Amino acid sequence: MSPARSDRLPIATLLEGDPDDRTPVAFDRRGLRTRGGLRRDVSALASVVERAGVGRWLLRVEDSYAAAVSLLSLARAGAVAVFPPNGRPETLRRVAQGCVGALWDAACRSDAEAAGIAHLGIDPLDPPDPGPPTTPARIDRERPLVEFRTSGTTGAGRVVSKALRHLEDEVLALEAKLGGPLREGTRIFATASHQHIYGLLFRVFWPLAARRAFQSETLLHASELIPRMAECEAAALVTTPVHLKRMAASDGLRPLRGICRAVFSSGGPLDAETAKSVAQQLGAAPVEVFGSTETGGIAVRRRDADGEFWVPLPGVAIRCPGDDGRLEVTSPYVSVGESLDDGRGRTLLGDRVAIGADGSFLLRGRADRVVKVGEKRLALPEMERLLELHPYVAEAALLVREQAGEGRVHAVVAPTPGGWEALRREGRRGFGAELTRHLSGSFDLVLLPRAWRSVQALPRDAQDKLTVAALDALFVEPAGAAGEASRPDAPGLRILDETREEDAFERRIEVTDRLPQLEGHFDGFPVVAGVVQLGWAVDAAAAWRGRRPRLAGLEALKFSQPLRPGRTLTLRIERAREGRSLRFRLHDGEDVFASGRLLLEEGDP
Amino acid sequence: MESLEQEIKELIITALALEDVTPTDIEPEAALFVEGLGLDSIDALELAMALEERYGVQIGDDPELNQRIFASVRNLADYVNEHRAH
Repeated sequence: MSPARSDRLPIATLLEGDPDDRTPVAFDRRGLRTRGGLRRDVSALASVVERAGVGRWLLRVEDSYAAAVSLLSLARAGAVAVFPPNGRPETLRRVAQGCVGALWDAACRSDAEAAGIAHLGIDPLDPPDPGPPTTPARIDRERPLVEFRTSGTTGAGRVVSKALRHLEDEVLALEAKLGGPLREGTRIFATASHQHIYGLLFRVFWPLAARRAFQSETLLHASELIPRMAECEAAALVTTPVHLKRMAASDGLRPLRGICRAVFSSGGPLDAETAKSVAQQLGAAPVEVFGSTETGGIAVRRRDADGEFWVPLPGVAIRCPGDDGRLEVTSPYVSVGESLDDGRGRTLLGDRVAIGADGSFLLRGRADRVVKVGEKRLALPEMERLLELHPYVAEAALLVREQAGEGRVHAVVAPTPGGWEALRREGRRGFGAELTRHLSGSFDLVLLPRAWRSVQALPRDAQDKLTVAALDALFVEPAGAAGEASRPDAPGLRILDETREEDAFERRIEVTDRLPQLEGHFDGFPVVAGVVQLGWAVDAAAAWRGRRPRLAGLEALKFSQPLRPGRTLTLRIERAREGRSLRFRLHDGEDVFASGRLLLEEGDP
Repeated sequence: MESLEQEIKELIITALALEDVTPTDIEPEAALFVEGLGLDSIDALELAMALEERYGVQIGDDPELNQRIFASVRNLADYVNEHRAH
């Protein structure tokens, strides 16, 4: 692929020429980085790398200009950059083991300190001993340059390796297909991190190849980013759904109309509403990019032109060879020998698709259990295996469900006897916090489970399979209960466990003496009022059915003995034989405290 | 000031849909992110939006300043108190 315009030159040629060239390559709030400065910085760092050894170098920098300097220096010295999947201490220690050195800037140094490996690293923009490099300022496009690692917490992590050729060819294809609106002088802003392939290509390599200046710092708050973009004559934005959704809220992008020439979104599915809102505010829908670390970019779409259909990038061939609908990609941007590669440059992905007659395709979900949270990829089985290594957990199942507008990981565990003991001692929050700590050394924080449920056994269907629906049902909150004193998990009342049968629901609860409802009932002899127990029954019915019951009345209501704090109880709800009602029973084995029937209104199914 | 801290605790719990956390569980001076309450980068964005909407305060991208503002409920309350528009 040869560049169409003379200003689109191989990236390596950026390093040749006048060290006083003042053409901007990057910018932040403090000022500009110039092409001449890039040449000097690369020369200084390359000489340090050459002297220290040219194997693998761990690379973790926050600043995108520092990333560009690091990558070009490693390329020039003939070394390989290794991007760890996250900055968690155990991950950094594991990745650092196979490296001769590390590059990190001040922002990432605290991660390295937490991992106890800070002494291994140098700051790429402030190398210790810049002597003249011994190699010429030429870069071999064919050598491996970048490795991405998957987390691999319980086994060997996968490695995806790219030569400069793969990255450069891909960004030249991007320029040919999508560069049209990005006229001379367009500044590239980004919220997507260059630690992942999408950000690395779109915010670093594409601007370098197309000779556009890119933003080296990352401004995540619209109130800061949008005024900066609005000062430019022409700008483009490389972002992710998590950020775009928030920036587009309440017409936030409107000041960029006529300035922002393109918005790119990748790293997860963008909701149709945000795409539409961006189109209304800027005059064009975002360019959504579908790809993977292994393959690089696969396809793009603009909702206003392509609807839901993805259009393959030039040079990328797609097929759907098997019965399972999985997408196979043949792409010049895949290095042969990848873990998913079949030896002939074909990569079979976990994404299921339906391919149309014109070669565009629809996404039909994943064939495996790999999910995206934020822009981070997570293989759910990997986190489940790590959870099961904890002494509290006999078995674990994870799912992604929406929480506060984002898909987040939720966890269901079957505790061991020691786990149940801890759950009783610590409550659900303390129990979840301990398991979160166990995971947090290895996974990015946004991937950690946001909510925990404990069950005697994981819910399985008749074929003995776990189903997402059954797991999901464990998290359904009673509508309208949040924040109220009657909320099922109000202070003092702990839900220890829930089990679902076909016609019944059981909750194990612990009544502690912090129960706010005990106020005034009675000093010196606290008891739980009957109406409070009834409220618990209604809350449990709501949690079971996923909606609050509409009560027509109560029948056979009995409070058999006073309920004092400190008890652990079972609250059982079941469908009653007597028509439209639910039977409840609050008991501890033979000891029954309350029972009765909740009569449902007509129309409450 | 104490009532503002209480309000902010409630805002954190509702805006982020935190489970098993009540306002009394959040110490005014305890860390909100990573250690402590365990909030993450998506929470930070969501919380900044909720604060902007509720109090009209602008949250910028100065990492050192943000680290200070978001360090604890007490610091958040101080910041809101100084900069609130309504």
